Parts: sequence; structure tokens; C-alpha cells
Amino acid sequence: MDFLFDYISVNTFWTILFIIHALLAVALLGALTHQAAAVLTPPRTGDTGGFVRRFRSVSAPSYTAVVCLLWVLAFIFGGWIYAKYRIYVRIPIEQEGFYKTLGAFELKEHLSSIGLGLLPFYWYLWKNAGNTTYASARKWLTIVLAAICWYSFLSGHIVNNVRGFGL
Amino acid sequence: MNTTTDTTIPTLSPWGTFTLVFGICFAILYVVCDMAALPLFTYHPGTDRIDLGYAPARRDEGPAMYWYGWLASSSLGAAILSGLAALLPGKIRGKIPLALAWVVPVVLLPVLVYSLMFYWRW
Repeated sequence: MDFLFDYISVNTFWTILFIIHALLAVALLGALTHQAAAVLTPPRTGDTGGFVRRFRSVSAPSYTAVVCLLWVLAFIFGGWIYAKYRIYVRIPIEQEGFYKTLGAFELKEHLSSIGLGLLPFYWYLWKNAGNTTYASARKWLTIVLAAICWYSFLSGHIVNNVRGFGL
Repeated sequence: MNTTTDTTIPTLSPWGTFTLVFGICFAILYVVCDMAALPLFTYHPGTDRIDLGYAPARRDEGPAMYWYGWLASSSLGAAILSGLAALLPGKIRGKIPLALAWVVPVVLLPVLVYSLMFYWRW
């Protein structure tokens, strides 16, 4: 990996990794929100047109594999940059006394980890999307994962606003 | 992706049981590892040093990180427990409520918020 630093600075390298992490998170957020909307408020018969109807009229099972893949990739990149965050981002934030920001971010790390552990069952439930005995668990687990994803996205965004990489 | 209408499966398959129990146990064990300081290893990012188990930050070597170790501890524990659960007879496997998969994280949320009480200062 050191050969990269002949071409880009260390700060640029970590900023690129962070941007990849953020882009993966955006894609994950979109996919999970579509899927959660589809299971929470499926389109009614006779419901015609409109942005909201089209937003929730997606084929929810088709999002499952990409949600799992994006969660894992975003998690790997997040875990990679986390070590740098611990030294170069968190310590300055501590010195500034923004403890609630740090707490919100700590909660993100916990929730996204728990979400990662739930992915195999989430995948299993959607793989058997035709099994109606799984419908309730499938619906609520998808909503919980979407809520975790939204929280993680927003708290990560706030920390990046307070102090991102490359400063 | 199997989207056929099949409502005849009353219980989870062994693999389904593994995934359900893994998700539940991982969440619980993660919170236990966090609150009881039980990482499988400690990473010191300043020096790239790794210590087995819990190790405090070393003087002049920057902070210690436990998150990676919590993930390892809880993954290992959850894999063992869910492997055992997958071996249970179908009758018993069928009694595990599927709703635990989403109820457990929701119940753990206030515990996690409480565990971060240090940060909620004004």
C-alpha cells in the first residue's frame, strides 16, 4: 500500500477511503429505504401514479442481496478508517468538548455492528419471501435495519461536519 | 431470490435457525462485551500493536481500541451458540420466536444509550 503514497498524500488516501465509505452508505440508505417503504406501506389497489406510489412500488426482495453486500462493504471501509478516526478525528473532538457528538457516533458503531449480525437472518427471510409465516419478522427486521442505517448515516454525517479527514 | 408462494413451512430450517440465533446472540453478546469490557483483543492504532484480551492504553502510545475485539468476541460466541441451536430438533427450533430478531435490538437500544452515559453530559 505504501507505493500509493508516492502519488497521493496520506490525507488524500484516507479521504478517498472515507468518500467510498460514504458513497456506499448513500447507496445502502437508498436501497433499504425503498425496501422498507415497500413493506411498510405497500401500494394499494387502484392507487395511481405519484412519486410516493412509485417509491414504494419496488420489488422488495430484489434489494436483499445488494443491501447485504453494501452493508458489509460500508462496514469494512468504516472499520478500516475507524482506526484513523480514533486518533485524528476523535481526539480533537474530545479536546473541543463535543461529547454528545462522540456519543452519537459511538451509538452508531454499536448499532451498525448489531445490524451486521442480523444480516444473515434478514437475507434468509427475504430469500423465502413467499413464506407468509415470515412476513411479520421480515417486515419489522427490514424496518429496524433501515432505522439503523438512517441513524448511522446521519450521525456519521454530523461527525464529518464537526471534523472530517484531511484536516 | 425465491418469491414463490409457499406457506407450508412452519419452522425454520437448521440454517434459518443458525441465522436467527446468530443475530440474537451477536446483539446480546456485543452489548455484554461492551459493558463488561470483554474484547477478544485490543488494538493500539498509534503503534499497530495488538494485545490479547482487554489491555489499557499504554503510556505515550495513544488510545486503545476495543471495538474490533468486541466484534470478534461476540462473533465467536454467537457462532458457537447458533451452531448448537441449529442442531436442535425441528420441534424445538420451531419454538424460537422469529420476532426476537427485531425485538432484541430494539430492547437493547436503551441499554446501549445508558452505556454511553459518559457522553451525554451538558
